[in-house]
Amino acid sequence: MSLLEIKNVSKIYGPLKALDNVSLKVENGEWVAIMGPSGSGKSTMMNIIGCMDKASTGEVLLDGVDIAKESDKKLTAIRRDKIGLIFQQFHLVNYLTAVENVMVSQYYHSMPDEKEALEALERVGLKDRAKHLPSQLSGGEQQRVCIARALINHPEIVLADEPTGNLDEDNENIVLDIFKQLHREGTTLIVVTHDPEVAEEAQRTVVLEHGRLVKEIINENFTD
Amino acid sequence: MKRQKMFLKMITASILRRRSRMLVALLAIAVGATILSGLVTIYYDVPRQMGEQFRNYGANMIFTPASGERLTDDTVSEALSQIDSANVVGCAPYRYEAVTILERPYMAAGVDMAEVEKTSPYWSINGEWPSQSGEILVGTSVASTFALSVGDDMTLTYDLGAPEGATVDEAKNGISENVNEKSFSVVGILDTGGNEEDYVYISLEDMEALTTEKGGYDVAELSVSANSDELSAYVDSINEDGAVSARLVKRVTQSENTVLSKLQALVFLVTAIVLVLTMICVATTMMAVVAERRKEVGLRKALGASNKSIIFEFMGEGLLLGGVGGLLGSVLGFLFAQMVSANVFNSSITFHFALVPLTILVSVLVTGLSCILPVRSAIDIDPALVLKGE
Ligand SMILES: Nc1ncnc2c1ncn2[C@@H]1O[C@H](COP(=O)(O)OP(=O)(O)OP(=O)(O)O)[C@@H](O)[C@H]1O
Ligand SMILES: [Mg+2]
Repeated sequence: MSLLEIKNVSKIYGPLKALDNVSLKVENGEWVAIMGPSGSGKSTMMNIIGCMDKASTGEVLLDGVDIAKESDKKLTAIRRDKIGLIFQQFHLVNYLTAVENVMVSQYYHSMPDEKEALEALERVGLKDRAKHLPSQLSGGEQQRVCIARALINHPEIVLADEPTGNLDEDNENIVLDIFKQLHREGTTLIVVTHDPEVAEEAQRTVVLEHGRLVKEIINENFTD
Repeated sequence: MKRQKMFLKMITASILRRRSRMLVALLAIAVGATILSGLVTIYYDVPRQMGEQFRNYGANMIFTPASGERLTDDTVSEALSQIDSANVVGCAPYRYEAVTILERPYMAAGVDMAEVEKTSPYWSINGEWPSQSGEILVGTSVASTFALSVGDDMTLTYDLGAPEGATVDEAKNGISENVNEKSFSVVGILDTGGNEEDYVYISLEDMEALTTEKGGYDVAELSVSANSDELSAYVDSINEDGAVSARLVKRVTQSENTVLSKLQALVFLVTAIVLVLTMICVATTMMAVVAERRKEVGLRKALGASNKSIIFEFMGEGLLLGGVGGLLGSVLGFLFAQMVSANVFNSSITFHFALVPLTILVSVLVTGLSCILPVRSAIDIDPALVLKGE
């Protein structure tokens, strides 16, 4: 059974079909990139997979559970337990320090554990920035805090919507290195990106256009 | 434990982050709590204060003999023992005897001057209160009849032959040879506007000397500082025993009650209005805070925060503010009540510790109520919408 299976999913906003009959399978441990022009429905698809939005029609099976049919309360629980989210705009709580931001995720999941949170920051190379507020961190550092936060509860699947969109080359490489390591550890990754270089790092790239899945490219050069 | 610590950390950091806004809300709560605790303090203290004020209008309780016998020191003190001694402002026994002044009949009262001064503070005396034997206080109408003024001497004549309990008429008609005379020096002229002006007042000892017998009291006037329920309870328990019949001076106790109940209604109304205003202010502030934090709430939800967690966090902030505001308010409220009391009643009030938890509780409750709407709008926030690009 695939970890994620999207079957004939559409998302309709009035006259607009943000997603139009999309089907996609993602296997456990796979690294998939989603590309496409602006407005093609990439974020819409991520929100649906991330249990933050519901499909208008179709099935979204995560671990065999159809999340399109679950209650909001159940979706919150699934999001908390199975999904790690990384956003383009970082979205840190601005009055909490880096380590506290990571602990917020633990707080909602189970128990805040400062030691574990510090280890997660160490993993993304930010141990010495743990007590800094987001405003005292660079964009790249903020994004790494977000990654640490997304990973802290050991999600089954990490969803990253343009994680490198606001980063320079160096920081982009740092983030990609972290992704590579996550992949080696067996984490399932779905990364939305505009950047072909970022997409090239994935095992497979799917391309959306006007809400439709138009192309699927397997990366022949992919190496673990 | 760790969870609570994180929770506290989050809500305090969030409050400190929005210092100025939260200060406004805190101020609103503190003002509301101040008015609440201040007015409640006054509410409880005013009856006492007012009681003291009203005690200036004279006795509010009267003892008379239950049977034909006169009151004695024993029966009076036994009746007095039914009343909390701290509440007794004064107890003035009166012994009335028929006397003649220049062969005209009058009533003389033997009294304890110091107690009368307490039970009848409104007596206006031209001159001084008698302070030693041989001194007499004369009602204005008596004084004008005989053209007496302070410093003059006068003589009271008592008919020893007259049977006990002689009436004015008997005294007038049955002038016997068996009389006792005593000379007094006028030290004060009494002006009350009432029938006290038709009497003369001498000390109880002088009355004994004049009548050559110990005698008892016809009546005792009391000034008791207590509310009307307590007064009624005192009267009832005294009347049960029998020797003394007690009753209330209705005119005084009733006007005291009317003023009090009006004042208490006013206190209640003002407190309610102030609390509603506090609620509006806190609700507005929290509304703005939620609007400001839409993104953060969306993020928390995206991270898996349940509605319950979101409610807890906002309510936690609100209730923390409510608690601190309530604490501040109970202290400020005492100072406020103290100020009012000093200015209006010229006296200080006692600090009621029980009011501190009460004020905090009400503040927390009021803040909680004000937070309901803002918190509802917070849980309605959709994580997907909020997290979409700027
Ligand atoms: N809540 C909404 N209500 C109405 N239309 C929406 C809503 N959310 C998204 N859309 C529309 O759906 C389409 C897909 O939006 P989406 O955010 O998925 O695009 P995207 O591929 O992520 O674009 P970008 O690369 O700019 O982020 C867009 O045309 C957008 O305007
Ligand atoms: Mg997008």
